[in-house]
Amino acid sequence: MATNIQQFSVVDAAKDMFRITTVYLVLSFAVSVEAGELVPTVSHRFTGPGVEEVPDLQRHVLPLLGRLGCNSRECHGSFQGRGGFRLSLFGYDFAADHASLTKDGEGRVNLDDPAASLILRKPTLGEDHEGGERFKPDSWEHHLLHRWIEGGAIGTRPDGAEFVKLQVEPQEIVFATPGETAVLTAIAHWSDGTREDVTDLCRFRSNDESLAAINGAGVVTALARGDTHVVAFYDNGVTPVAVLTPVSDSTGKNFPPTPTPTKIDELVVQKLSKAGIIPADVCTDAEFLRRVSLDVTGTLPTPKEITTFLADESVDKRAAKIEELLNRPTYSAWWATRLGDLLGNSEQNLPVGGEQGVRRQKSEQWYDWLRRRVEQNVGYDEIVEGVVLGRGRAAGQSVGDYFAEMSAYFRSEEGADFAARETVPYFWTRGRFTPPQPLRFSYAFLGIRLECAQCHKHPYDQWTKDDYEGFQAFFDGVGNSYGDRRGAEEMKKTLGLTADQDSSGYKKLFVDLAASGKVVPWQEVTVSSLEKRLENARRSQQKTGGRVFTPKLLGGEEVTAGGSEDCRAPLMDWLRQPDNPYFARAMVNRTWAHFFGVGIVDPPDDMNLANPPSNEPLLNYLAEQFVAHDFDLKWLCREITTSRTYQLSWKPNATNERDERNFSRALVRRLPAEVVYDAIVHATATETDMQSLHTDVQTVRSRAIGVSSGYDNRDSAYVTKLFGKPAREGICDCERSNEPSLLQTIYLRNDTEVLKLLDRKESWLQQVAQSQEDVAADDWIRAAYLRTFSRPPSDPKLVGARQHLEQVDDARTGRRDLLWALLNSKEFLLNH
Amino acid sequence: MAVYPTRNGAGIKRRDFTRIGALGAGGLTLGNYLRLAEAAEVKAAKAKSAIFVWLGGGPSHLDTFDMKPDAPAEIRGEFKTIATNVPGMNICEHLPKLAACADKFSILRGITHNIAGHELGTVYLNTGNRPVPSLEYPGYGAVVSKELPGANDLPHFVAIPSTPQKAGYLGVRSVPLQTNSAPKIGVPFSVRGIALEDGLTVEQFTGRQRLLDKVDTAFRELEGKNALIDGLDRFDQQAYDLISSPTAREAFDTSRESADVAQSFGAHNFGQSCLLAMRLVEAGVRFATVSFSGWDTHSGNFKKSRDDLLPQLDQGLAALLRTLDVRGLLATTTIYVTGEFGRTPKINPQAGRDHWPRAMISLLAGGGVAGGRVVGASDDRGEGPAHEQFTPEQVAATFYHTLGIDHRKEYHTATGRPVMIVRDGAIIKQLGL
Repeated sequence: MATNIQQFSVVDAAKDMFRITTVYLVLSFAVSVEAGELVPTVSHRFTGPGVEEVPDLQRHVLPLLGRLGCNSRECHGSFQGRGGFRLSLFGYDFAADHASLTKDGEGRVNLDDPAASLILRKPTLGEDHEGGERFKPDSWEHHLLHRWIEGGAIGTRPDGAEFVKLQVEPQEIVFATPGETAVLTAIAHWSDGTREDVTDLCRFRSNDESLAAINGAGVVTALARGDTHVVAFYDNGVTPVAVLTPVSDSTGKNFPPTPTPTKIDELVVQKLSKAGIIPADVCTDAEFLRRVSLDVTGTLPTPKEITTFLADESVDKRAAKIEELLNRPTYSAWWATRLGDLLGNSEQNLPVGGEQGVRRQKSEQWYDWLRRRVEQNVGYDEIVEGVVLGRGRAAGQSVGDYFAEMSAYFRSEEGADFAARETVPYFWTRGRFTPPQPLRFSYAFLGIRLECAQCHKHPYDQWTKDDYEGFQAFFDGVGNSYGDRRGAEEMKKTLGLTADQDSSGYKKLFVDLAASGKVVPWQEVTVSSLEKRLENARRSQQKTGGRVFTPKLLGGEEVTAGGSEDCRAPLMDWLRQPDNPYFARAMVNRTWAHFFGVGIVDPPDDMNLANPPSNEPLLNYLAEQFVAHDFDLKWLCREITTSRTYQLSWKPNATNERDERNFSRALVRRLPAEVVYDAIVHATATETDMQSLHTDVQTVRSRAIGVSSGYDNRDSAYVTKLFGKPAREGICDCERSNEPSLLQTIYLRNDTEVLKLLDRKESWLQQVAQSQEDVAADDWIRAAYLRTFSRPPSDPKLVGARQHLEQVDDARTGRRDLLWALLNSKEFLLNH
Repeated sequence: MAVYPTRNGAGIKRRDFTRIGALGAGGLTLGNYLRLAEAAEVKAAKAKSAIFVWLGGGPSHLDTFDMKPDAPAEIRGEFKTIATNVPGMNICEHLPKLAACADKFSILRGITHNIAGHELGTVYLNTGNRPVPSLEYPGYGAVVSKELPGANDLPHFVAIPSTPQKAGYLGVRSVPLQTNSAPKIGVPFSVRGIALEDGLTVEQFTGRQRLLDKVDTAFRELEGKNALIDGLDRFDQQAYDLISSPTAREAFDTSRESADVAQSFGAHNFGQSCLLAMRLVEAGVRFATVSFSGWDTHSGNFKKSRDDLLPQLDQGLAALLRTLDVRGLLATTTIYVTGEFGRTPKINPQAGRDHWPRAMISLLAGGGVAGGRVVGASDDRGEGPAHEQFTPEQVAATFYHTLGIDHRKEYHTATGRPVMIVRDGAIIKQLGL
């Protein structure tokens, strides 16, 4: 998209309050002028009484009520209404709002005597109004509403034009210093070609009120240096405008020469040079190795690895290390866990009763299924396909064969390989009391939060209740039951599974039978075709009335023919489209957030229109390339970690110390829960054990970063919960918490578990104590630093540590003290 | 990113070791602290602390505090009523100690809801909010410990031995400290993380802390500028205070009580857990939960109740109320006793009762709640509320009210969604509030 930067002046209307300011305005050629004159704003058209024009409910009246706050949650938008008067929350149910406004006998709208209408009397305090004065008598707001009532208080016309988009000019504001102002103009486009200035009917919001303010007239004021967005809302249009006040004078030509070896760096530095933010220096080799090992493999580097890496003089050693890490079993173990977070792999799977005894195994199977694919670097789209189109019984498979196949996975001896299955059904068999499937689907694969739209229009996004219901229709045909109920019951009888299937006796017998190799009956995910669903819906609609919701993709087309037996197939096809606006972006953005601690869109799972990316070209580039590389996850990790941007130091300078959204320095982050526990185990392990934590596939699998995820009776369960491991019950990336807490610190300082790990039988401290050879104090101290901080100690620290070892009575106590102190340091607990 | 309230201004000063030592030695005492807390913003509430007693499984209302002596035998069951020290307030014959101190608590009858499953019922009664799939509500302890500031050298939310209450959308900072076991009479009791292990002395621990201070200097330049660093520094100081000061250690060690007091709570897990909760509150802990499970009496209801459940409940709870009262703490401590539902009025063929959420009981005591009252009633057969009905939300709102917490207060979840502490709550005035 070509852009043209012009410089021009804006004179603000508000007298002396605002100075004449210079703003840089980016005009986009993409906004083509459409047919029809621009209709001026309502505040000019309705300045006096006796205007001929009759305002429109959807275009004028409801937006005005929204802007006045009438349909907010605190007022009439409350689900209980206020004072007996209810409006749809954030105003998108035009029919209901019209009915509510014009209800007989309520007097809100009085067609015989418009001036007596309560919607004019109350907000002007002609009558008591709990909500106070909303507008003055004789104001344009008053005239507009009055004229609508005079005109018959007409509702929406079925043949009325549809809202197309909300255009806001300028699209970007670059201020020079705080205090400057600029004015926004908002233009609504309708399907009949009309364009209207709706600045006075928009709601506005600033995404960071400490940086930029916006008032009702669309006047934006720079409050402090930095960058954010202001957002205009009208109808279901949501349009953000970037607002930037450079942090320093080092912008454009004055920006210091900065290397940009990769495309990522180029795009990041483009933004930084505009914002006057000078990036940090590149981090040290030791910092890089620690950071990239933790991020890619969830594991600290070994002392030997660090020493070798630091001594390596080849120029491409960082890239080579990344490649090496991507091929370790720890990479697939850790990323399978992260994918499990996203998909909600937990023991809370269906059915309740009967198969319940094998819940954990099912969760482990899902983990192994994911791990195998991460290891083989199967495309992200293919992994998702195996989940979205997950089946129990394959098409054409008999129920008997299905029972036999499933049973084989649960055999204790020579169990069949579940991970070899084409699909995994467990996304669709999550617990009974979990968020509805459309919410989980949009959260996981689209990075969109649809919760709001279940009940009302999303306040900050385009989604309406109709959108939600249209999307929900894809999921209505998915169930869980026996493929052959009678066959299953007979089989149960034969096997002696006759007790109540909720009883522990039944569950235990079921587990034992499966483990012993017997064929037992299994429920299966059932799906119906979209055509069948639609036909059923139509039939029931004829019987009972009500609406038929047609499956509609989010922001996309109605789907009336799936062409498939599986109602989920059109969803998968849609996800895969190269122009799908969410699928690739959501994954790219989450992966970025994994490596930087903050997403390009942040929070990473809230990709709504009012929450635009901090660097749109960067997100576009990564998403396009991710698709072009066939959704290759290793490519994505490599592309990010080889960038100079990823390898910047955490040490701030005067221009970037406040920046947390433009990737101008590394942000220090607390280690994720599983990684904390594993890092303690790793740092205190014997050298042999430490090595196997990296390389032995079974050991890696059983680590906290591996399959132990989520199981309550593992050693790591207490600590991982304490440090914020997600229970995988909700639909928010925030379910994983990296926040610190007092109990976490107490755990590290003094918990029996940590103290035992330090001194366990197979521990490094024991190994050293029992060693026949003399261990030189300095060598030991160096090793302790490498095990914890992943770097050698500075000379003064080495001396200080040596002094401590000499002070205490026995060397072993001294060593224990020092290792304890290192493990309790921020430098250990943080990724930096 | 840490979503963590940033402290403005200079942030937290680098910890000065000698200063800490002084604090640890008693510079900031609990008394000082409470005065500060009071001066700052602890509303006109009577209660400063709370003990939540969880009767997991769902106690039978008809065999405890809502007896139906005139109902047919298949409903009435095997137990008789006895009079209490409050005229007209009759309870089960197997609760004689509670009957003797009925003036210290009130019974809420005819509480009603419609969730008959353990899991969701438990969430409901431990949060005061009807569970919804897309939001995890914080438990009472998480809310109370967030709303009421607590002393530096004590944990704020302790679960004995564990609790179904979670931090929910309030996040990891409101997670409870679980003791994982119950104390035993005469045996020194300690909790993971609180007491120094393996014979480590305070001096040695202080030495380690000093060493830590010398080692952990990498992020000095971020101090005062970075919420995560400042938060970790603050917790570092608090953890040191808590571990090194004797306050918490001694509060947890129930063996410091006299044998008479310890015996009065009963030689069972529940009783000794109540004793621990009492000691914690006495020391200044804001919220303690005691969990007592086994109330899911689908079979053998009367035998289990008579032999185990009721005698333990009777002894432990009565001792808790009496001891708090004797030590002048009952007025400032709210006690809330409940399960997730009542049990079926009609006795089943296994001499058991099944799940029955339409009518249940809860007890409230202390913290300004009037004692000796019976509020609400179930119908003649104990099937549902007789006239006025109470919801778990109302009990929750009332409970919070005694602690000066407005249940209508709104929090924002991490996704920005506004959520009231208790939606649809209302204060039950009949409890003298």
